[in-house]
Amino acid sequence: MAEITYLEALREGLAEEMARDDRVFVLGEDVGGFGGAFKVTEGLQQRFGEDRVIDTPIAETAIVGAAAGAAHMGLRPVCEMQFIDFISCAYSILTNYVATARYRAGLATPMVVRGPSGGYVRGGPFHSQNPEAAFLHTPGLKIVAPATARDAKGLIKAAIRDEDPVLYFEHKYLYRRIKEELPAGEEVLTPIGEARVAREGRDLSIITWSAMLWKSLEAAEKLAREDGLSVEVLDLRSLMPMDDAAIVATVRKTNRVLIVHEDTRTGGVAGEITARINDLAFEWLDAPVKRVCAHDVPLPYAPTLEDFVLPQVDDVVAAARWVAKY
Amino acid sequence: MTTTAASPAPPIPAGLTRDQLLELYYFMRLTRSLEEKLVNLYRQTKVVGGLFRSLGQEADAVGSAYALDRSQGDILSPLIRNLGSMLVQGATPLEVLRQYMAKAESPTRGRELNIHFNDLERGFLGQISHLGDMVPVMAGVTLSFRMRRQPRVGLVYVGDGAMSTGAFHEGINFAAVQRLPLVVIAENNGYAYSTPLFRQTAVGHLVEKAAGYGVRGEQADGNDVLAVYQVTRDAVDRARAGEGVTLIELLTYRRKGHAEHDNQSYVSREELTAWAAKDPIDRYLGQLTGSGWATPAELSAIDQRITGEIDAAVALCENEPMPAPGTALDGVTVTPPRAELEWYRRLDG
Amino acid sequence: MAKIDVPMPQMGESIAEGTLSKWLKKVGDPVKRDEPIFEISTDKVDAEIPAPAAGVLAEILVQEGQTVAVQTVVARLETDATVSPQPAAASPQPAAVSPQPAAVSPQPSAVSPAPPAPPAPPAVQPPAVQPSSRPAAQQPSPQPPGPSSLEERLRTKSSPLVRKMAAEHNLDITGIPGSGLAGRVTKNDVLSFLEAGPKSPLPTPQPPVPGPDGVRIVPGPVVEPWDGDRVEPWSRIRKLTADHMVMSRRVSAHVHSLIEVDYTRIAGVRSRQKAAYAERGVNLTFLAFIVSAVAGNLRKHPVLNACVMGESTLYRRDVNLGIAVALDWGLIVPVIRHADELNLLGTARAINDLAERARAKRLSPDEVQKGTFTITNPGVFGTLVGLPILNQPQAAILAVGAIVKRPAVVQAADGSDSIAIRTMGTLAMSYDHRIVDGADGDRFLADLRRTLEEFPEDAG
Repeated sequence: MAEITYLEALREGLAEEMARDDRVFVLGEDVGGFGGAFKVTEGLQQRFGEDRVIDTPIAETAIVGAAAGAAHMGLRPVCEMQFIDFISCAYSILTNYVATARYRAGLATPMVVRGPSGGYVRGGPFHSQNPEAAFLHTPGLKIVAPATARDAKGLIKAAIRDEDPVLYFEHKYLYRRIKEELPAGEEVLTPIGEARVAREGRDLSIITWSAMLWKSLEAAEKLAREDGLSVEVLDLRSLMPMDDAAIVATVRKTNRVLIVHEDTRTGGVAGEITARINDLAFEWLDAPVKRVCAHDVPLPYAPTLEDFVLPQVDDVVAAARWVAKY
Repeated sequence: MTTTAASPAPPIPAGLTRDQLLELYYFMRLTRSLEEKLVNLYRQTKVVGGLFRSLGQEADAVGSAYALDRSQGDILSPLIRNLGSMLVQGATPLEVLRQYMAKAESPTRGRELNIHFNDLERGFLGQISHLGDMVPVMAGVTLSFRMRRQPRVGLVYVGDGAMSTGAFHEGINFAAVQRLPLVVIAENNGYAYSTPLFRQTAVGHLVEKAAGYGVRGEQADGNDVLAVYQVTRDAVDRARAGEGVTLIELLTYRRKGHAEHDNQSYVSREELTAWAAKDPIDRYLGQLTGSGWATPAELSAIDQRITGEIDAAVALCENEPMPAPGTALDGVTVTPPRAELEWYRRLDG
Repeated sequence: MAKIDVPMPQMGESIAEGTLSKWLKKVGDPVKRDEPIFEISTDKVDAEIPAPAAGVLAEILVQEGQTVAVQTVVARLETDATVSPQPAAASPQPAAVSPQPAAVSPQPSAVSPAPPAPPAPPAVQPPAVQPSSRPAAQQPSPQPPGPSSLEERLRTKSSPLVRKMAAEHNLDITGIPGSGLAGRVTKNDVLSFLEAGPKSPLPTPQPPVPGPDGVRIVPGPVVEPWDGDRVEPWSRIRKLTADHMVMSRRVSAHVHSLIEVDYTRIAGVRSRQKAAYAERGVNLTFLAFIVSAVAGNLRKHPVLNACVMGESTLYRRDVNLGIAVALDWGLIVPVIRHADELNLLGTARAINDLAERARAKRLSPDEVQKGTFTITNPGVFGTLVGLPILNQPQAAILAVGAIVKRPAVVQAADGSDSIAIRTMGTLAMSYDHRIVDGADGDRFLADLRRTLEEFPEDAG
């Protein structure tokens, strides 16, 4: 079976679910005839019809709200945010209506909101965001962030099948740069709430997700070569729910943790993970939990600025060395 | 004294039957009486949270809701002054009382207040406090009707205030461009809390906004229940026929403050008096008896029945308990089904 | 008959009180259910309040004009019917001030709001590890007293994992060598320690003692006797020696230079002079020659006869040579004062005398003081080379290796080489590189060798 890109894997997952379950439909801006700004939904309207791949006006609140109404009635909508930066336009209806629907009203709302997040593409402040922290603390939402092609497919399928609203944050930098050969003849499903050990190690654990998985793996390689350090890399894959058991297991194994995420530092999810480690695995720590994040600034456009602000492999290496030496 | 054979009663308008006319009265009276009971309970501290009256708007709520076809599965989404709409769709006084009194047995298990509850089977989808949000949601509900080729219609209420929100704009625009079977009723009751209409919008009449969305606009006297019924019925029929969205402006008036704790100091007494004279229930009573469609005795019997129903409901639930504290953790998501207990609560075991 | 409370209602989420503006009924009046019985006035609204049940107004508790908090009982009704108990009192309005969280914390330093007991003290720094047993003659610590520094805390508390492992194995963290940040004990340090040594019960913790120049002394390993072992507590001399040796190694920058000396000539002189010396009551040993040669050369190389004083070099005027004597019970170093003023006979006599009285324990205190250079003689036991530890505060010490006959290459007058049997020995000098550079040491040794290899026949 040939290699496919992260984007193709995502599209494949979408298409498989739409073929398998005719309650699944897609709505968003330019997703139909145009196939989506990044072509994620290319070909879907031709295959499944205008009824099931709907081009909407520029109206994120309406996209999300309509998805909720349709989901109440038993359909399975998959909303696209053209850039995930625009999910904030739907923040109110997502957090006040969608997230609370089951709890306050017993209303089933099985819907997915997905979109390309992340930077390293010289996109400037409004085409590069990582919004997970804004939604992490809202009970009622699930959040996933695939890093591999396999998980891009596995998690979109799982998200569509989940009975709860799921935010699916794919990473635009990975779309065409990550390729993988997916197994033939087997259904690719990634359980939501389950992390994956991407690389085994003994001396230090890096906990990360999305594009930072690849930077962390590169850093781990470098540390093994140059420092003889054995670094374990844990790909969380799901941020809500988070795989506490996997986090505790890796802390118990290496006793030294570095959290790496692309989002800004203050209020970023690394703080939540650190608090959980403190709650669940304090006695296993042989060094303070450190984090590598973006600087606390809006993401600038110029390459020199963006490369400075966002975490790079060398940043991960330097931080890992500090933690390893503590 | 004998009379000559009374002139025959004029034909009942809007294709309604006499029983239906009485039903309309029943729902309007039930709305008002139930709210009055709630006021008493509120002043007796049995109702927690805020209390919102729809005094003066009973016709707008009941008449419009009545135009839906429950047998076809039409669904409406009420606002806070649409208790009448919910009662028409089958919500019960018992449910409403339990909601207001935060009882464990309330439809939302004590999780949401006043009439923010729903039953998609019976045909009502309760709102959230963020005004305008229900318009895109109902667009989604009616989208499902179209996708499933069901001849069902949705109806969503907005107030003069909610029409200013971005959510309203996005929702009606989306419904319009998708030609969804959605009727949007704008209840123009003159005020959004303390903000009068002229501070809310630059248009003279809310119906003018319909043109901005490319939808049909209608306007009617919101205090004339039969007129309300007629205009809504027409819009519902058009929607069911695939003709898309209608925006209906119902002209009415809110005779009480925004909530029971609002003394309406921003409203002149003259204005209130003037509108009291146009009270929808009084007008309808006049219409019913004046046209010979009902007798005062029949209507009085309905009043009694309503009092009995309400008192029975109160008696049934007023001593029911509030939800057990631990139940607060249930049902945020399907998986996991329960939120975690905070660690410091576990210290006592 | 039952009494029902009538409370002041809350008209609005942020309302906390209301004024009872007017009573519509008097005590004793009958009231119907929902009939208004009083009027209230709040910030937002005035209202008539209806009776919650039918009955008689039995008590009025709040008068007209009085302002009371929401939920205050303003009146009581006497009702006929068996009244079902009031439902669980309507809980405070949702927007009411949330109750202070009960400060359920096991930490004594938890801060609770309005505590009945005196407030807990602020979180205390982990106590500096300063038990009562501090070594005597403690130099003033460079660290300030009170809460310990980060270094101290790292050394004693380390990390949660290390503390856990230490507790599990009953170890004292401060007794384990640390390789982590600031000498912190890491997990691997603990593991290595456990692999190396046996598990031991918690001994008296040795405090990490800052040395005179602020250098941290690392306490040694914890040792446990096994079956059959014999424990001998140290004598005073042993303790002094032990302390001195460790201190010396820590304080000075020890460098060792070795030089090989051809003693053949001296051997000759000695054999020829031995008898004459014996008549004078003196045993002429090789050591006497060496001591004599050293004394003379120290005059020419004063830095070898010096010591470090703070950040200065202190050049001693006198040449007082200490001669290390191995006794049954330990090491002692009697001093030959003004050794450079003695001839060979005097030197030999002094050596004999001091050694003899040392063994007899008849040395006076000032005979073991004020040495400026020490000579030790491990060669007497056959040791080829010794690398001694400096006798503080002296800057140099010379170890005399065994003097033996060995084949050596000799050059004849005509330049040809041949093997001859020569009397050879190694001299090893340890010196303090803080003040004695390599060149100084080597030059001294070169001169010393020359002196020894050209020793005059008639030195006595």
